[in-house]
Order: sequence, then C-alpha cells, then structure tokens
Amino acid sequence: MKKSLFQLNTKTVVTIGICAALYGATGFIGVPIGPDTSLRPAIALLAIFGALFGPVVGFTAGFIGHVLTDLLTSGMVWWGWALGSALTGAFMGIIYLYKGFDPLAGLVKSKHIGFFAVYGIVGIILSLLFSWWFDITFMGEPSDKLVIQVSLASLSNIAVFVVLGIPAVLGYAKRNRKASNLSVNE
Amino acid sequence: MNRTGSLYEPGNSLFHRLDGAVKLCLFAIWTILTFLFLDLRVFGVMLALGVILLVTAGIPFKRIAFLFWIMIIFTVLNSVFIVLITPTFGTRLTGTNTPLIPLGYNTINAETLFYVLTLSAKYLTLLPITLLCIFTTQPSEFAASLNRIGIPYKIAYAVSIALRYIPELTAEFRSTLHSMQARGMGISKEDGKLMQRFRNLSAVVVPVLQSALHRIDSVTNAMELRGFGTQKRRTWYSGKDMKSLDWMMIGVSVLLFGLGLWLRLKGLGPYWFPF
Amino acid sequence: MKPIISFQQYSFRYKSQNEPTLKNITLDIYAGEKIWIAGPSGSGKSTLAHCINGLIPFTYKGETSGSLSIDGRDPSDLSIFELSNTVGTILQDQDSQFVGLTVGEDVAFVMENKGVSRPDMKAQVISALTMVEMLHNIEQSPYDLSGGQKQSVSLAGVLSTDAEVLLFDEPLANLDPVSGKRAMKLIHDIHVQSGKTTIIIEHRVEDVLQEPIDRIVLMNQGEIAVIGTPDDILSSGLLRKYGLRPPLYTDAMEYAGISLDGVNGLSVPQKLDIPGLKDQLDAWTRDIGKGDPIPTSTPLLELKSVEFGYDKDKSVIKDVSLNVGTGEIVALLGNNGAGKSTLSQLITGILKPQLGRVIYAGEDISSWSIRRRGEQIGYVMQNPNHMITQHMIAEEVGLGLKVRGVAADEIKERVEHVLKVCGLHPFRNWPVSALSYGQKKRLSIASILILEPKLMILDEPTAGQDYHHYKEFMDFIRGLAGQGLAFLLITHDMYLALEYAQRAVVLSDGKVIAEDTVASVLSQHEVTSTAHLKETSLSVFARFNDLEQPERLVQAFINYEKEKGYE
Repeated sequence: MKKSLFQLNTKTVVTIGICAALYGATGFIGVPIGPDTSLRPAIALLAIFGALFGPVVGFTAGFIGHVLTDLLTSGMVWWGWALGSALTGAFMGIIYLYKGFDPLAGLVKSKHIGFFAVYGIVGIILSLLFSWWFDITFMGEPSDKLVIQVSLASLSNIAVFVVLGIPAVLGYAKRNRKASNLSVNE
Repeated sequence: MNRTGSLYEPGNSLFHRLDGAVKLCLFAIWTILTFLFLDLRVFGVMLALGVILLVTAGIPFKRIAFLFWIMIIFTVLNSVFIVLITPTFGTRLTGTNTPLIPLGYNTINAETLFYVLTLSAKYLTLLPITLLCIFTTQPSEFAASLNRIGIPYKIAYAVSIALRYIPELTAEFRSTLHSMQARGMGISKEDGKLMQRFRNLSAVVVPVLQSALHRIDSVTNAMELRGFGTQKRRTWYSGKDMKSLDWMMIGVSVLLFGLGLWLRLKGLGPYWFPF
Repeated sequence: MKPIISFQQYSFRYKSQNEPTLKNITLDIYAGEKIWIAGPSGSGKSTLAHCINGLIPFTYKGETSGSLSIDGRDPSDLSIFELSNTVGTILQDQDSQFVGLTVGEDVAFVMENKGVSRPDMKAQVISALTMVEMLHNIEQSPYDLSGGQKQSVSLAGVLSTDAEVLLFDEPLANLDPVSGKRAMKLIHDIHVQSGKTTIIIEHRVEDVLQEPIDRIVLMNQGEIAVIGTPDDILSSGLLRKYGLRPPLYTDAMEYAGISLDGVNGLSVPQKLDIPGLKDQLDAWTRDIGKGDPIPTSTPLLELKSVEFGYDKDKSVIKDVSLNVGTGEIVALLGNNGAGKSTLSQLITGILKPQLGRVIYAGEDISSWSIRRRGEQIGYVMQNPNHMITQHMIAEEVGLGLKVRGVAADEIKERVEHVLKVCGLHPFRNWPVSALSYGQKKRLSIASILILEPKLMILDEPTAGQDYHHYKEFMDFIRGLAGQGLAFLLITHDMYLALEYAQRAVVLSDGKVIAEDTVASVLSQHEVTSTAHLKETSLSVFARFNDLEQPERLVQAFINYEKEKGYE
C-alpha cells in the first residue's frame, strides 16, 4: 500500500534512517577496477530505495547517507556530491509514482523497467552535472578536470545501475510475487 | 572510527562546552565563507584560526591522523590531476603565463601552481572546523542540534537512526560477505573475473537488504509503541541549554560572517594572485 | 473485580491470510497478575500480544470479531500511543527496540515524544534506571551493552511511562541462559515492587518457570488450549502435547516411571515430597546412567596453541588447542564474549592466528584462503536469511558449484541429491520465500553441503526455535554426522550440547577451561561458574533430592533420550 508522498509517518522516518545507514555501511566496499576507482554498490542502493519507497525517501536517504559517510570516513563533506546522491535518489524514485508499480507486492511490468532505466540514467547524468556545476561555482575547480571526473563517474554509475540496480529491483519484485500453485513433487 | 561508529573524544575545551546547534551554525558560516572566496590570504587566516581551535580542543593527533592524511592525499592527488590535465589553467584566471616545467604536450606554468596551492588551501580550510564538530559533539546531541536550527524533528531523528544503525549494518554486511566468500562467492581477485565478482557483490546485497527491510518494520513498531511522531514537537534528552557563552559565539560568528561578506563585496576578489 | 484486559469470544484474521490466526479467545487478566502466555511458534501467542499492545489494529490490519477491552476501553477507539500509556511493551529484538544512541536517551524516548522538559526527563530516567540497576551505564552506547542489559534498558523505558501493564514479547529469545535467568529475576522483582500486571509471551518453559507465575495460558493453533497454575499444567503432561518442552527433571521423573499426577512444586528443580522418589531415580540412573567412553576418531581439524588478538598486547584467544574428529559432533560452549565467534573466524580463515597452527586432515592450512577452506569447512550463520541470495531453491543450492564452473548437468544431479539428503526435494521447484524458517535453515545447510565439506561449523543452530523445530533440525544434523560429517556447534545452549554433542569444549575469556564429555563438563561446578554457564536443572534437581551420584542423572537422561530417539 502506498502512502502519500510527503507524509512523514514513523515508518518513513525509520526507512530514511535505515536506508541512509545501509548506504553508509556499504560505502566502504567496492570491486576495484583500477587505481583509486572502484565500482561501488551505493548507487544501486539508491535505485532500490527509490523504487521501493519513492523520491522523497530516495532524496533524503541519499543525502543523509552520503553526508554521514563523508563525515565518518574523510572528515569533510563534499556537498556537491552529497546533493548529487540526493538528486540521483530522487530520480530513481520517480518510477514509484507510477500506478501499478509496486515491487513490495511483486508488481512490475516491462514498461516500468524501461521508464526506470531512463529516469535512472537521466538522474545519474543530471546529478553529476549538478556536482560539476557546484564544484566549479563554489570550490573554484577547473572545469576541464571535472569533465573527466564527471564522465568517468557517470559511466561507472550507469554501469552499476544497469548491472546491479535494475536487476536487484526486479529480483526483489520477483521474490515478493505471491507464490501460487505450489505443489509438492515427491 | 571505533566500534561504536562514534568519533567523539571527551574533553572540556571551548568547543566541547558549546551547544551543538551553535557548532552547526559556525560550521555553516565557515563553509559558506570558504565557498565565497578563492583567496590564499583569506584561507591562510581561516586555516590558522581553525588549527588554533583544533589544538585547544585537545584532541590527540592520533585520533585525527587518519582523516588528516586522507585529506592530504586527496589534495595532493587532486592537485596533480589538475596540473597534468590543465597545465595552464592559471592563465585563464590571471591572464599571464610564466612557463616553468615542460611536460611535452604542454608546459606547467607558475600561475597554475599557485592556483592549485590556493585550491588545496581551500579544501584544507574546511577540514579543521569539520573535525572540531565531529570530535567534540556526542552523536546523540547531533539530532537535537539539527532540530534546534530548524530541521523538522522527524528528519533530525532519521539522522539519529542512521547513526544508530550504521555500525550494526556494517557488521552484518561484513559477516554476510564472509559467509559468501567461504562459499566461493567473494569479491576478491581470487573469486573470478570482474563480472563474476560483481555479480557476487550484487548477491550479497540481497540478504543485507532483506534484513534491512525487516529491521525497518521492527524499529517502526518499537517507535510507534513508544509514541514517536504523535506530537507537533518533541523535546530532546541529549544536548545542553543555551548559555551566555553560546550566545557570545553566535554573536562572534555573525560578526565574522558580516566581515567576510563585506570584504567580498568590497571586491576582495574571487581569485587573488601575487603576480 | 473488573479485569484490566478482557477478551470475549475474540477472533482475528490478518488481511493477507485466509484463516483466522486467533480463534474464539476468551481470557480475563486482572490487575496485578503475572501471566505467562505459552505456545509453540504459530500458536498465535505473538498475535495475541499484538492485540494487547495495539499493533493490531493500528499496524497490522485485519478482521476482528468478538470484543476486547483494555482498562475498560476498546483499543480501536484509542491510538497506539494512548494505548501505550496503559500497556508498555518490551519487544524481543533488543537492537530494534533500543533506538537511542545512549542508555539515558533511550529510556527517555517516550518522554521526549511527549515533550517532557529536560530536567524532568533526567530525574525520571535516573529513577527508572535505578529500578533496573543500570544507573551506572547511563552514558553508555548500545554497542557497549549485552543483550540482557539492552533489555533492562527497554524495561526502564517502559517503567518511566507509568503503564499499568508490562508486556514482554519473547524476552528470552535472544539471551543466553544466564542472562535469561537474570532477566526473569528482574521481571519478577519489578512485578513484586510495582505490582504492575505482567504478561510474558514465551516458549522456553524451564527458563520462564525459574520465577513464580500466577497463571499459564497455553495456546495452540490460535486457540487457548488450557489455562492453569504451573503445577496444574506441569503435572498434567500437556506441555509436550502442545509442542513445548517440559522441564528436564519432570521428564526424567517420567522416564524413571514416577507419576506426576497431583504433584506440587514442579515449576523449579527442588526437593520433592514424593515417597520413594530418591530410590526410584537412583535405581534408574544405576541402570542406564553409564557414560559411554568418548569414541576415538581420527582428528580432522586440530588447533594447536592458537593465539589471537585484535590489539598486539591484548589476546582474545589464548593458547587454544582443540580437535574435532571425523563424524564427531563437538560443542563449543561459552558465554557471550568468551571468544567463540573469534575462534570460528580463525578456523574459517577470516582471521589469521598470530601464533599456533590450524591443521586440517594432517595438513597445515594456515596459508589457505577463505575460499579454499570453505570447500572443506562449511560455516553456517545463525540466521539463514543472512545467507540466502537466490530466488529459487535449486538455484540457491547450486550457486556454489556454478561459480566454480561445474557443468550444468552435474550441478543438477548434485543439487537433487543434496535436496534429498536435506528433505527439501519435494519443494525443489519452490521459491525460497515460500519456505518456513526451519526449512530455510536446512536450505542454508544444503547450499554448503553441496560443496562436500568434511566439517561444518554451526553458529547457534537452534536459536529462537521452538522445541519441535529444534528437535527436527538437530535430528537432521545427527543424521548427517552419522554419515561421517563432523560438526562444531557454537552455542551457549547447554541442552543442545547435552543431547547432541559427544564432547564439549568450554571457552572462557579466550581460554579452553574444560574439554570432556558434555555431561561431565556440565556437572563440574567450577567450570560452569567460571564460564558463566547455567547449571542444568537436572543436576540441580539431583542435588536437592540427594541422589547418590547426581551427575549420573544427567547421563541417564541423555542415554534414555538417545535410545528413544533412535527407535
């Protein structure tokens, strides 16, 4: 059952908190793909949070999770990138607003997957563009260097989203589909 | 980070005694001021002030060493990247070009070196205030302070829940990872090709997510049964009452903020260079 | 007198289910009573608790009939929060209930939500923590506390609300026996001190009965099977009928042919006034109470003087040597913090010892990776949900082979075989989500078994399961051991060790303090007290009734149950 989007009931508060904690807890892990770069599952988590709980939870959990992880592991907050995570989470959550899309009840149609992929990829690119703009405007970083960083990050995030995030949401929906006609085969 | 996920270091310095909300204000003002400038002189003053405050807080260097070195490594790497990718970026800011080190495809100039020095100082300026806030504030005070500076209490409490469960979820994630590793589905080099390792990682996420969703339900029940969210406002057990010291600090920081804005408007440039 | 809680012909059906979970419940609970609602899993006792604290109808939706009144009011006319002013709940999962970042903050949680001023809160927190004897922990964070301590904090949180009714939902589920004993004592003390109505939901009989109970409400399949005093119920032999395990000493008496009809004072192990009791028990234990010599088996896993510490100067594992033989079931006993899980991580290779050697089948495996060890030594986590990653049962079982590049045909064949061994073959085409907890537990074993290890480490294999599921699962494990698989059971459950392990290794503060047959280890008082293990009720009972050789009773009991089990 879906609740109104902005109604902050206890469950939403807890969901935001736990999702943010999960984002932080898995932040340290990644499959290394090169020097100083690794594919992190964090972006896939944002996809899952968004799809399961909607854009508000996606945005808030992404932001809180990112800020806390930054504080605990690097002693500084990269505001541009934290807001980027939040935006990504929000975009991932747009699919939640579709009628008939409810992975918690196992309801996902193939057109939803298409929309989900589009929103996700657009979200990833837009939020990285945002981070790019933020770092230029407020940090005074040179744009050329950021172009390289941002495009690398976009590519790896999109890869993680497509390879990990979408299948995870689908898999989750599959799990929750009501098991019907189960027969015991001796 | 210790086992409890808290970085708090007990003490009785100025910062330890300040109310968390005041620290958050200071933190915000400091961050905004840093954003406004790209001027080595300003950063020099702020950095010096920050380091003095950090030293008086009496946090053993051992505790902050890890975060400190991460920051140093980051700024060095960042500078190297900038210099290599855009060796003459400084020229765009100053209009002058003083070639120094030939790279083959281009020549690093003095303006760019000065620029990365300024940029590094900008990053470093943000470090002491962040360290001060996280090392002198009890995590339980954090949510109360967020609420006091105007964040709705439900959002502030979500932050508190995140802090509460990060260590537990981390431990759970690790142990699931270990059990998968023993079944031959780890994420290290030994466990196969990149794609396989990646698939393994996605497999680990499933039980962790499942258990997180289960936890959402049980924590929600626990909080509902204890009356969370029934009133328009809530009080906080942790935290302190505002004292004259706190009001003084707010006064000082507002003054500093005004000074910063005034300097900025006076044309203390977005970029300053001695050449 | 008017009851404080009154169910009249009350039924409840969850929205998602076809059958009602509670059927025709009629139960009056009076102010100041101490009630125990007992029943196996699935009996509806947790649902009954949800009705009392308001999670039904506010969180879990469904259909009700009949009437329920709490303190004279219908809960559905109130809010869950108003109801919590009357009924204070202590949930079974201490980590979910403890939401604060410090002890003091968590106790104050309800007051914070009501908007109580800080000075008032501080005063009330102090008085509530004093009642549960946790005041000196007020500044600590949940990570510094044991499960039992967290539970005490939750209790303090409820006490600060002046709720008339205290509802404990499976308070013993996540506690080791010693903490469980302490918890029951605390619950009793608070009951006596405050006079509050106390309701305990549990399936662990012996542990609950350590303290007095006014009435037991025995539930079965959604209905109240019987209500009575502990003596009524224990002497009636009904517990076993409804899937609960009676106290071991009452079982032992029955096995020895002593009738319990009308006997009083059965709820705790004590001296009983039954003519001929001592003689009959002595004769019985003389008869079958001989311990088997430990069968010699070739050592499969050996730890030699293993030393480990996270800090250089503080060892958590000190000079530990032990071995597990082929086909042997060894119990690794010890209280929380004794180093049990660290030791298992040293065996599976997650941690590396600083000194000493780990030897498997005669070979030093110190340099083996986690993956390589995993093919020989399987590790099964306590909660199967933390291990299962696939949607379908067959996929989950075959996963370990798939990543090793085994051909699909062979995988299929081996999966079928393992599923048959684990009794899951009839469900091979089911999704994992359709399995019960016990079946998932078997599935997690199956997915390791397929790699054909020679040794399996089981971490608290029966935690939180009722007697029926416990027995079913452990008999399955015993069957596997009979086929030559060795097991190391990591547990603080003495009965589990007694009944299923050939040997026990007792770990205390990182050191092995005893290694012998389980019965002999557990009858050594120094060992049990040093390791903070609970003495078994059988040996306490034997002592109180002056049996000639008290430890014999334990052995006789094990032998009898084994024989019965093999029949």
